[in-house]
Amino acid sequence: MASLRSIRTRIKSVKNTRQITKAMEMVASAKMRRAQQRVLDTRPYADRIHEILVRMGTRSSFSDHPYFQIKPVKKVGIILVSTDRGLCGPINSNLFRSILKFMGERPGIEFEFVTIGKKGRDFVRRSGKKLVGVVEGVKDRGPITEILPATQVVIEEFADKGEWQEVWIFYTQFVSIMSQKPMMERILPIKPEHLKPTEGAGLTGDYLYEPDDSREILDVLLPRYFETIIFQRVLENFASEYSARMVAMKNATTNAKEVIYGLTLTYNKLRQANITKEISEISSGAEAIQQG
Amino acid sequence: MSFQLTLVTQEKSLLTEVVDFVQAKGVEGEFGVLTGHTPFLTLLDVGEFIVKKGESTYAYFVAGGIVEVLPHQVTVLADIVERADEIDAGRAEKARNNAEKALKEPLAEDSRLLYLQAFRRASVRLRIVARRSAPGGNINTPPGTGPN
Repeated sequence: MASLRSIRTRIKSVKNTRQITKAMEMVASAKMRRAQQRVLDTRPYADRIHEILVRMGTRSSFSDHPYFQIKPVKKVGIILVSTDRGLCGPINSNLFRSILKFMGERPGIEFEFVTIGKKGRDFVRRSGKKLVGVVEGVKDRGPITEILPATQVVIEEFADKGEWQEVWIFYTQFVSIMSQKPMMERILPIKPEHLKPTEGAGLTGDYLYEPDDSREILDVLLPRYFETIIFQRVLENFASEYSARMVAMKNATTNAKEVIYGLTLTYNKLRQANITKEISEISSGAEAIQQG
Repeated sequence: MSFQLTLVTQEKSLLTEVVDFVQAKGVEGEFGVLTGHTPFLTLLDVGEFIVKKGESTYAYFVAGGIVEVLPHQVTVLADIVERADEIDAGRAEKARNNAEKALKEPLAEDSRLLYLQAFRRASVRLRIVARRSAPGGNINTPPGTGPN
């Protein structure tokens, strides 16, 4: 039977935990809002560069550019965007499960990884796959330069060395505060149908290019297009991380409240039982004296 | 006659305005754009980017990126942008001195290149600051986005 004192200590410690989870919940919700805003802030650049590529594509052909080369697939590069920290619900493990499924569906193909986020790095190490690039400690307010080491490795493996014939990105999509979805997208080679004009955006004449060769401009445009896509996914993953953490911490806070309620009830019952026992002892003692 | 200007980086949008004139430094030289310019795509060098709208003039430091010019629309996708009135002259001075000192030593080719680029960026920043604080070099504060 627990003593009154030990129950009192437990109530105190659960109250402390509740305070911490409550604080984490509030911090996560503030950070989530900021991360969502940053995702929105990157849209104009991505939209504009996409428009330019579409306009270029209506007049010149991209098909000989390395970013568009479709080759038989032997080795696939995976960019795995995960969180650095835990306590954010199941989003990382859901993502890892979708990767295992993805690899299971493609027998005979080799997989190599570039990871952004510590949890993903640990997952790749555990699974024994080859890790060619690791980026960690990316800050949710940080500049895009923090993720460039990862994109450089990918471009090297895909375009320069030709080691990878396809590149996929795995990250957690922010659907709503309550729902985050593991996502996979093939980002290289770029699908030409992504660069089809949507409405009558085309021009009649060609651009004047400076330098003269449109290829040189493409060599600047495409890496930036690619970087922006990755950067957006990383920011979106932050939004997912924070919303998942917010929900996880909210649940923890609610649980703590229930535990405190239960413990307080036990504590009061026990206290009452003790008092009753003492009174009955006293009164029976008094009775004994009277009769004696 | 005016046209739509969009100045963005990979991280955010800095300016979306209807303007009368812009001037930028492309890899093959400076160029100015008025409404009705022929469609034109170029890479940006390190330099000053100037915008005129009515009586106002805005100036930016820009390093690297792409400019798309269409008859009624100009889009600047910049790698680095700073508003001219927000350039940190002290930091640029320090960066320039550092680079200068480093370049006097024998260096590997790629780190030499990095220092050369740093030196150019710092010098251009200082030149913009000097020009903007000289008489007649007044600029206005662009609307919309506040300091970074």
